[in-house]
Amino acid sequence: MKILNLTINGKHHEVLVDAHEKLSNVIREKIGLTGTKIGCDQGSCGACTVLVNNEPILSCITPALRYDGASITTIEGISTDATLYKLQEKFVEKGAIQCGFCTPGMVMTALSLTPTLSKEDGVASMIEQIKDGLSGNVCRCTGYKKIIEAVAEYALEEKGLIEKKEALSDSSSEKVGMGTVGIGRPYIEANKKVNGSAEYADDIRIKNSLHAKFLRSIFPHAKIENIDTSEAEKLQGVRAIATGKELPVKFGVLPISNDETAMAIDKVRYIGEVVAAVAADTEEIASAALKLIKVKYQPIKEFLSIEESLNDVGENEKIHSYGKFNNNIHKKAELRFGDQQKGLEESDVISKMTFEFEGVTHAFTEPHAATAYWDENGLTIITATQVPHYLHRALAKVMEVPLSRVRVIKPYVGGGFGGKSDPFPHEMIIAHLARKTGRPVKIRFTREEVFISNHGRHPSKMTLQLGVKNDGTFNVLDADIAIDGGAYGSFGVVTSYYNGVLLQAPYKLNNFGFKTFRVYTNKPQCGAMRGHGAVNSRFATESLIDDLAHKLKMDPVEMRMKNFLTPHTLTVGEYRITSNGSRESLMKVAEQSDWKNRHGKLNTGHGLGVACGFFISGSALPIIWNELPQSTVHLKVDFDGRVLVTSGASDIGQGSDTMLAMIVAEVLNISMEKIFVLAADTLLTPVDMGSYSSRVTFMAGNAAKNAAENLRKEILEAVAKRNEIAVEELNLINERIFSNDKKIDLSWLEAIDILTTKRGAVSISGKYISPKLGGDFKGAGAGLSPSYSFGACAAEVKVDLETGQVKILKVWGAHDCGKAINPLAVEGQLEGSWHMGIGQAMTEQMKYYKGLIVNNNFLDYKIPTSLDTPDIVTNIIETIDPEGPFGAKECGEGALHPVIPAIANAIYDAVGVRITKLPIMPEDILSELKKMKQVEKEVAV
Amino acid sequence: MIAEKIYHKVKSVEEAIAMAIEHTDDFRYLAGGTDVIVNQFQGNDEKNCLIDITGIEELKQVKSDGNFIRIGSLVKLDELKNHKIISENFPALLEAAHSVATPMLRKTATIGGNILCENRCIFYNQSKWWREAVGYCLKCDGAICIATGGKKNCFSKFVSDTAPVLISYDAQIEVADKNGIQQIKLEDIYTGDGLQPRNLSDSAIIISIILPFDKRYKCVFKKLRPRESADFTSLTTAVSVDENGRVKIAVGGIDPKPIVTEGKSVSEKDELIKYIFKKSRVVDNDYYSRPYRREMITVYLNRSFEELSQL
Repeated sequence: MKILNLTINGKHHEVLVDAHEKLSNVIREKIGLTGTKIGCDQGSCGACTVLVNNEPILSCITPALRYDGASITTIEGISTDATLYKLQEKFVEKGAIQCGFCTPGMVMTALSLTPTLSKEDGVASMIEQIKDGLSGNVCRCTGYKKIIEAVAEYALEEKGLIEKKEALSDSSSEKVGMGTVGIGRPYIEANKKVNGSAEYADDIRIKNSLHAKFLRSIFPHAKIENIDTSEAEKLQGVRAIATGKELPVKFGVLPISNDETAMAIDKVRYIGEVVAAVAADTEEIASAALKLIKVKYQPIKEFLSIEESLNDVGENEKIHSYGKFNNNIHKKAELRFGDQQKGLEESDVISKMTFEFEGVTHAFTEPHAATAYWDENGLTIITATQVPHYLHRALAKVMEVPLSRVRVIKPYVGGGFGGKSDPFPHEMIIAHLARKTGRPVKIRFTREEVFISNHGRHPSKMTLQLGVKNDGTFNVLDADIAIDGGAYGSFGVVTSYYNGVLLQAPYKLNNFGFKTFRVYTNKPQCGAMRGHGAVNSRFATESLIDDLAHKLKMDPVEMRMKNFLTPHTLTVGEYRITSNGSRESLMKVAEQSDWKNRHGKLNTGHGLGVACGFFISGSALPIIWNELPQSTVHLKVDFDGRVLVTSGASDIGQGSDTMLAMIVAEVLNISMEKIFVLAADTLLTPVDMGSYSSRVTFMAGNAAKNAAENLRKEILEAVAKRNEIAVEELNLINERIFSNDKKIDLSWLEAIDILTTKRGAVSISGKYISPKLGGDFKGAGAGLSPSYSFGACAAEVKVDLETGQVKILKVWGAHDCGKAINPLAVEGQLEGSWHMGIGQAMTEQMKYYKGLIVNNNFLDYKIPTSLDTPDIVTNIIETIDPEGPFGAKECGEGALHPVIPAIANAIYDAVGVRITKLPIMPEDILSELKKMKQVEKEVAV
Repeated sequence: MIAEKIYHKVKSVEEAIAMAIEHTDDFRYLAGGTDVIVNQFQGNDEKNCLIDITGIEELKQVKSDGNFIRIGSLVKLDELKNHKIISENFPALLEAAHSVATPMLRKTATIGGNILCENRCIFYNQSKWWREAVGYCLKCDGAICIATGGKKNCFSKFVSDTAPVLISYDAQIEVADKNGIQQIKLEDIYTGDGLQPRNLSDSAIIISIILPFDKRYKCVFKKLRPRESADFTSLTTAVSVDENGRVKIAVGGIDPKPIVTEGKSVSEKDELIKYIFKKSRVVDNDYYSRPYRREMITVYLNRSFEELSQL
């Protein structure tokens, strides 16, 4: 140990550090400044950026002793008074903050970048310099667009290239009576996120906590013969060791696939599965203990591919014992509508293609982290989760305690995208270790562990055929799909259906059917990821449409226009389509991309492509069957006039807390300042099913609206009763309650006084229950939603004919979200979706070697950087859904669907190569180009 | 039980070497540390003594010296552009430096560190647990090369982006170790053995990189990588022509060492490219496949010659 002297944010510190201790650890763990984040531990994500003597450095790869005596500035120190620094204000104002986990590092980087920017070559060059300067900071939420805008505006003002704008003061965005819904505004917690004070799971310190580390399997499929923990137990500082046998109860997010235990018991099913866990005084001791645990494995035959798992296993052992057949098929989903055979026979042209997709993963910037403890109230767990409610149920089940003895608290969460929507083994294990030791137990994952946990998009193979009439009318669509689920069920049964059912729109299809097999393999499990289930099959469908348009010499835009479903109709599988902005979306991107004049007319190597999308706006059915409303929201108003909104909805960076506040403010016509949101604490907040299936704005939003309407009614009734006047005579506008004749004219607080007289604080409830929907056949529930979103993208690419490299020049996107309650947040969701889609299209894939995830870090798992992100043109299409709150529908997932096929179709336009594999590898393009040349030659001969 | 970890900051080259001798076999010099610290995090490097040389001021200078310029080994990649003498005479070096890693890393990483960057392989640059699961490869005391499915040689790839450019500019390096100071051609320090990619002695420290600046080189630099930032190279090419028309090519990312060749004039282009192609030992240890990277060698070099003719 050495003594280290540091001045951090102007305050002198003297700390004892280990010789090789990282500066990030000193700042976070010893000084307690947790605004500096750890995203990767390897200098690949930028979340840990701080300034040392005014130079930016990555504190997670910097030995602390290097900077003995140095002056360090962290995110907590860049503003010297109670206000935000100008650059921080820009981040807030521009909506450059979603989950907020990358924000501190991004701000520090941008701050140090600005003085180095050269204004000599004008604004455009400066923006390029900014993109370059931020290209080492990973943001998974925003698609960088709003971050670049924020930094650019700040830099341009600083350099005197544009006039300084006054920051939006609170009052201007809070104008009472102007209405709230439909006016873009920063998240209510944006200031906290931008100044580093927002606490994420790993930032929370519970007194006297132990630290957990997991021993993970090194075999993909093996019997556990023995686990010897005796040596590890002797290590000083080790407080408890747990193995699988201690937690035998199975769990899983879907009741039909409760196939997972917290730790492997008799056998391991993937490399990385937890086999033992240690709780110790420090992480270092826990890690040292892991090395002393001896596990005796008996490896058995592993199954790593879809093909292998579809086949009979013969004498070998299946991955899971249940199931009728002697293979590793987990689920077969099949639905057929109309007559596909006849449809094929009656089609004039048919396109049939086979597609292959690598798995991709969420890669949220905040690694999983949690702390669990037990007290007189039972178990409390503070964890980075999207689904407190399902975790609540799973914990009660696995811990074998009543539901009333479990409390799940969601702190700020650094992104999820579906990757934090299952109950996780680590949450069960630390709950168990905490019970065993009587002390709080904390876990935080390394980035490698995050990749091992996966739950990402399924690798898939599929053959689709689409038949059309000569006039371009779609006649039949058939899909034959196989998806690789990995070792456990997760959301896989739903994924199996979504791959098929979500193809029945946005186009009218009379003959439609699919069959999906989901197989188990000895790899980390796959689950739900943004755009769940239908991203790959949508890619296939939109590629077939493009192909048929070329075969029929029809404009692909026209062909789609011809086949769109109308609003207010039923699909062939009896989905109720309400508002439908397909047409407007496609028209918008066609117009903006100058489609008519450019598609098919650009030089070789330069192309334009288009595609459409469709997604659910919340699953109409709960995952665990029950009669609870999908969402319940409580409002409490007390003597002070403040309205407390309590909701189980989980804000993971998408802005649902803000959405709830805006809806309540709109209905009550009061200022946002009078509203306080308390969310996602299963003790304090009423149940909301969670942040998955793009359901929160629609369902929690409707519940909030219902609650606010109920409160409004109560207030007006109390005032009416007091004044002996009919309720209908009263208005609530602009924080005033007045009668039509103005004889009664009360302030909000005066009205609340009346409401609470002799009654005290008033609590009001609101709820959302989705209507009964769907057909009367097995599988009819899959993909049912009270409403659906629609959208379109156009992409412009350049393809290098010699290298096969693709550069995306521009993306135009349009998404029908019904009504944008918070347009700034909606834009953020759309841009983030398109960015994530670009990643899957171009560079992202989960690469395995014999079941072992190879690219388990942010260097090798290739998320597009700010430099790889093209210009994005964002269009919100509003169609006012009849059932959405103020007409709103989803916007966080569906937007991802069209962007990937739009890129592939653009490549076809550029070079005539049809992409059937993701990610798009330059070598695949090259080999297709060579084949085409060969054919040309042969034809010439 | 656990060896004591040491962090030592030195002020001079002599002090560094003395420290190195004291901790023989268990030390690592630390310049920017962007490579070493990550390798330590992953357990690929378990040296207990880190000798931080960033306090040695004399290694941070860029000086002209007759017909040469001397770039101190501790000059940071991001600082190279601040020296007019470099930007005017060796612009491709700036391009190469700018193509390394990310902006933040370039503010810490040094030119000396970049040319000594440890060879990489997807089967090696992994955590200890991971390497145990895959069955340790040759480079971490295993029996075989996993990337090639069982060969007895290590093909970890050479990934420095600045070294190929420097080599094509006829760079020499000035190296100090316990035996004194010597000057050697940069390409001569690379062995081609993935296990021991460099032949410098244990205590060696690069003092400076020496470039002749009277030869009026024209150089074209190219780097193949999936993204426009962050990525290590899948193929780095540098082709230089001096005022007499002499050509020098250095290519990284396709072998455990940079593949280097020279010709009297650009008319030898085809043979030179063929030579590089034949000498390279590309294996499947990268984002791109072996055949693709091999194919790109020729494409990139042909393009470089084309672009050279237009400079």
